[in-house]
Amino acid sequence: MIARFQATVMRSTPLRLTGLLVILFVASILISLGIAYLLLKSSIDEDIQSQMVEEFASFRLIADQNDLEERIAQEAAAAAPQTMIITYQADGGQSIGNVAPMVVFPVTSIVKGALVQTPQAAASYLVQSSRIGQGTLTLGFSRQQVTELGEVFWLVFLISPLVTLGFAGAIGLWVARAARNRVEAIRSTLADLTAGHLEARVPISNNGPDDLNQISQSVNRMAAAQAAAVASLRQISSDIAHDLKTPIQRVAVLLERLENSGGLSDLHQDLVSAARRQTDQISRIFQSLLQIAQLEGGSNHDHFTQLDLHRLAASIVEVYETTAEDSGHDLRLICEGTGPFTIFGEPNLLGQVLANLIENALRHTQTGSRIEVVVKHVGPQSALIVHDNGPGIPAWERQNVLRRLYRLERSRTSEGSGLGLSMVAAICDLHGAKLLFDDAGPGLVVTVTFSNSLPS
Amino acid sequence: MKILVIEDDTVTAAYIADGLRQEGHSVDVVENGLDGLMQASHSGYDVLVIDRMLPGLDGLSLAKTLRGAKNRTPLLLLTALGGVDDRIEGLNSGADDYLVKPFAFGELSARINALGRRPQLADQDQSLRAGDLEMDRLTRKVTRAGEVIDLLPREYALLEHLLRRRGRVQTRTMLLEAVWDIHFDPQTNVVESHISRLRAKVDKPFASELIVTVRGAGYRIDAT
Repeated sequence: MIARFQATVMRSTPLRLTGLLVILFVASILISLGIAYLLLKSSIDEDIQSQMVEEFASFRLIADQNDLEERIAQEAAAAAPQTMIITYQADGGQSIGNVAPMVVFPVTSIVKGALVQTPQAAASYLVQSSRIGQGTLTLGFSRQQVTELGEVFWLVFLISPLVTLGFAGAIGLWVARAARNRVEAIRSTLADLTAGHLEARVPISNNGPDDLNQISQSVNRMAAAQAAAVASLRQISSDIAHDLKTPIQRVAVLLERLENSGGLSDLHQDLVSAARRQTDQISRIFQSLLQIAQLEGGSNHDHFTQLDLHRLAASIVEVYETTAEDSGHDLRLICEGTGPFTIFGEPNLLGQVLANLIENALRHTQTGSRIEVVVKHVGPQSALIVHDNGPGIPAWERQNVLRRLYRLERSRTSEGSGLGLSMVAAICDLHGAKLLFDDAGPGLVVTVTFSNSLPS
Repeated sequence: MKILVIEDDTVTAAYIADGLRQEGHSVDVVENGLDGLMQASHSGYDVLVIDRMLPGLDGLSLAKTLRGAKNRTPLLLLTALGGVDDRIEGLNSGADDYLVKPFAFGELSARINALGRRPQLADQDQSLRAGDLEMDRLTRKVTRAGEVIDLLPREYALLEHLLRRRGRVQTRTMLLEAVWDIHFDPQTNVVESHISRLRAKVDKPFASELIVTVRGAGYRIDAT
């Protein structure tokens, strides 16, 4: 779940930007707090140091050694070790002070309270030793202020990012969610458009001409243009179909009349028959090209129904059984696993896919070849496989055979228009199914894997 | 039968009309959708043949308008468009049948005959006969000259389809649609091979041929 959340956050640009912004914001607060802390600390330390310099100076003014020691003893008695420590090590060996004698600190040093042997020590001291009279005076001023400042700053350090994180995060999430919903609307509209629902449009929010609205409007304009293009493609196809088919129909009519007029010699009769077969071929190729264009133009899924792939395959295989027997092919249907093999699709188009694949196998394999039609589950999906042990398609030609009117060199002389596999590819595309040509070693194996839901 | 042809291409229209007249039908031709609608609504035709793309009013709208006005005359749509969507759209508009151009006259004629005599289908008969062939539709037993003939389910369906339409030509595509529910054009000779299987069982062992090949059109079992 956390991983999914992470994935969602990483995918959503607004959320990612918000996160980045919050991190930058918190970091800049922490850095400025740190700088302020250091400046304040050093200014306090400077204050303490100048206090210490004054204190040393006041002791230095006393010329007489006895007066000096008396004065030190007085001050030591008066000073609480929490605020100030004083020790004086006379050269004679005796020492006075409010704490135990300490080592000599020739330069100003910061000393931890724990090193000062008194139960009432402050956390740390600024300590310095100096020769005064016939002895060494060591003064330590409590850095209590600095410690307190540190505590206050730590508190601020800890609390301010939380507050910032809370505020910036909440506002950021709110903004990001709004943005994300709009981005999501654009994304789903694009997905709908890609799936062929050309009426899909992005709702325009009333935020004025902001960037997302501009993108939304561009998407909508693009969708409108695409819809217009598809509509005009349909119109053009239907116009071309009508304008070209009428003359083809006329030729067919004239040839049929000629054939039925009687009195033709056998030669002429043969020529007329050949011409009629060619007219049929022209119209068949034309019909296929038209249908492929319509399929690729993003036909809708209105006529899709839920159907069982095994039943569909069984009915088509049954149609071809006798033809296969006549041509000496061994055509069989194999069902691997238990049904149902439920898919969504247009039964006629899917039937045509299998018919084209079987016809292809019948046409391009020799007598005695085996053609297996397999229906099986591939994970949660259903697959239709047509498998033969014929010559197959060389690896470098496999993409080419999907091109319209393309034919392998060796099959130039055989029947067929070179459109069967383009039609198969177009229908598979429409169904969101994956079409794969592979080597069956020897032979060709064509696999169509259907997604188990309605193409969106 | 009295047939109205609404087709704007004069060559095709004349061809259809001539062919149908030769078969003994009475044919009127109209070249415009609106005129066609008027004509079809007022005169009692047995079958209407309508081109999908017409000046004035297109074939689909014409069919819808007629059906909307409760006119139930059997209607065959001629079209240049043969896609699945186009066919379904055509049939949804109220057309009873759909023929893609270019078509052979035999195909058109067979379909017109099928439409025109729809109600006369031998639907209720328990047994169907042709010559010395008898089919019992209850026990699914087929005999010829007293001999029992074993048929595969699809051969039975094919024979039953032809027997129920005795005397009427059934084309390749009509058989594909009716017997196999296939609405596309297979390139190979699937129908021919099924027919030859059926013939091998029903005709070959006997003296006469029941299943007749009608050149350029299709197959027929004669009513006797």
